[in-house]
Amino acid sequence: MIERICGICSHAHTTCYTQAVEEALKVDLPPRAKYIRTVVAELERIHNHYFWLGILAHEIGFDTLFMYTWRDREIVMNLLELISGNRVQYAMNIIGGVRRDIMPSLSSEIMKGVKILAERMTYYKKVCLDEKTILARCVNVGVLKAKDAISLCAVGPTLRASNVRRDVRADDPYAAYDEIPFHVVTYDGCDVASRIATRCDEVLESVKIIRYALEHLPTGSIEVIVSRVVPSAETIARVEAPRGENIHYLRSNGTDKPARYKVRAPTLANLPALCRMLIGGYVADIPVVIAGIDPCFCCMDRLAFADTNTDKTWSWEGERLRKYGVKWYKKK
Amino acid sequence: MVQEEIVRIFQILFFPGFLFLVLAAFFYEWVDRKFVARLQNRLGPLHTGPMGLLQPFADFLKLLSKEDIVPGAADRLFFSAVPIFMLSLPLTALFCIPIISSVALVSFEGDLIFVIFVTTLFVISVFIGAWSSTNRFSTVGGMRACLQMLGYAVPMTVAMIGPAIVAKTLSISRIVQWQTTGLWFVLTQPLGFAIVAICFLAELQKIPFDIPKAETELVAGWLTEFGGKKLALLKLAEDLNFVLAGSIMASLYLGGASGFWFAPPFVWFIIKLTVCTLILSNLRALFARFRIDQLMRGVWKYLTPLALLQIILVELIPW
Repeated sequence: MIERICGICSHAHTTCYTQAVEEALKVDLPPRAKYIRTVVAELERIHNHYFWLGILAHEIGFDTLFMYTWRDREIVMNLLELISGNRVQYAMNIIGGVRRDIMPSLSSEIMKGVKILAERMTYYKKVCLDEKTILARCVNVGVLKAKDAISLCAVGPTLRASNVRRDVRADDPYAAYDEIPFHVVTYDGCDVASRIATRCDEVLESVKIIRYALEHLPTGSIEVIVSRVVPSAETIARVEAPRGENIHYLRSNGTDKPARYKVRAPTLANLPALCRMLIGGYVADIPVVIAGIDPCFCCMDRLAFADTNTDKTWSWEGERLRKYGVKWYKKK
Repeated sequence: MVQEEIVRIFQILFFPGFLFLVLAAFFYEWVDRKFVARLQNRLGPLHTGPMGLLQPFADFLKLLSKEDIVPGAADRLFFSAVPIFMLSLPLTALFCIPIISSVALVSFEGDLIFVIFVTTLFVISVFIGAWSSTNRFSTVGGMRACLQMLGYAVPMTVAMIGPAIVAKTLSISRIVQWQTTGLWFVLTQPLGFAIVAICFLAELQKIPFDIPKAETELVAGWLTEFGGKKLALLKLAEDLNFVLAGSIMASLYLGGASGFWFAPPFVWFIIKLTVCTLILSNLRALFARFRIDQLMRGVWKYLTPLALLQIILVELIPW
């Protein structure tokens, strides 16, 4: 269920969920499981950033770059398939560990794959920052100053491209990020071009993290047995998804079903900042700026009603909506 | 006498008239698609016919068989007339281009001006089509098409006059004939050739100047409301326009249909036309889309002065 929130960040959401549940159950993860979660999370970040670069190139009409990045995206998807058996919905996390182990042979495959990915991304970064037509469409477009970025609660690469050094991986380490040295990428351009540069550098940083994690992979089991009795508890988990910070809130009341579960996905957090970026821009820049925050429309699914004739807006709870649906179909 | 008339009718209807031009339009759409696909590391059309050669024709037939929809708010007369009008324009202009010999089917003093005029009319009909479909995306697309024309029309016309000045004629056929004795104009006026190539990208609304139908901004721009038969005709008109652009470049700058060495003029014309279309396709795969204000600034700041410079150079240098 949690995995289906988002296609691209499926691992980030499940990591966040399992962390919330593990905290409620007071489980300590074995170190090997933590490292494997980190490796998959970083591969997912590489996947997402390649995907995003292609989308952005398509938005500014540079279809050649779009085709090239999506071709190279296949490499990382194949690696994820080798690890988890799936290309998109990895289903790697279980409460108390991970589902599959990374064997040494697989580890060398991953090393080979990320080497190519790093080379290609270095090249794409050079293309994006040298090509005049791309720069013409991206520099000083969708400007978000650092002050606004903080006050409007932007997250993820959007925030870091406005020169704010905030990253859950560094600020509130989860999984194995407290043991792996890495660098939080920031750029001070505050525009779409620096968002490109931030994400390109993040891919290179992810490659370093994966290499370190695979070289220092601890031995031991990949999961622990957890008790099926859930105490009543209230926990919050944070994860740095490729698009920004994920927050999952869990309240349990002692039964095996959560009493309340709330997900705050990164796109929703970036929306106020997006509204600020669009002010004073050209119509032709709207797609680029919207693509610049890496929007995920399933991440920000909220249901609201609007009557265009009376300008009235309202929202319904699930039960009310269900009743309305039943009535509508009966009438039909 | 009668035989001459029959030959003439054959030429107009089949070769190098309507049938040949339509087939050439399909063929060069395939060349464009396949070439760009290979540049982008894709396969391109593959399954219909040998190497997907029949794909553009299959697309055309598919569109013809679809339901014909006219939006309720649209101006029916203009909305229906625009595709037909637009299809007739490049066909008319192509009759002025020499294809099988160095004399075109229709050739008169001043047909260069006529062809330039027809390419401008194309944009006017884009605007009428956009306006009559009353869709907001179409309207913005039509406005952008007109604005864009205000930018590229001036340098394109100025640059195309360059060969005419040297050959001392405004007829495309005579310019082609002049080049059989003299040097090709691409050698003496490379700047003019480059300007015309860039302006044709804008005229054909191809990347980086596909601003009027920017897919990610305006759905399909001025084409948004057209569907079925109308879209099929419009696509064919665009393909013909692509052929027209390539053949103008080939005729004015590469010597056009002139016999050389072993092959007849027609073969040389096809080779040159293919080279020109490949140039246009290649440029298309290299850039991101410009914004309309960036295009206008670039065109007025750089292309127009360069086109004027080319004319001055033509006046200064005798060949």
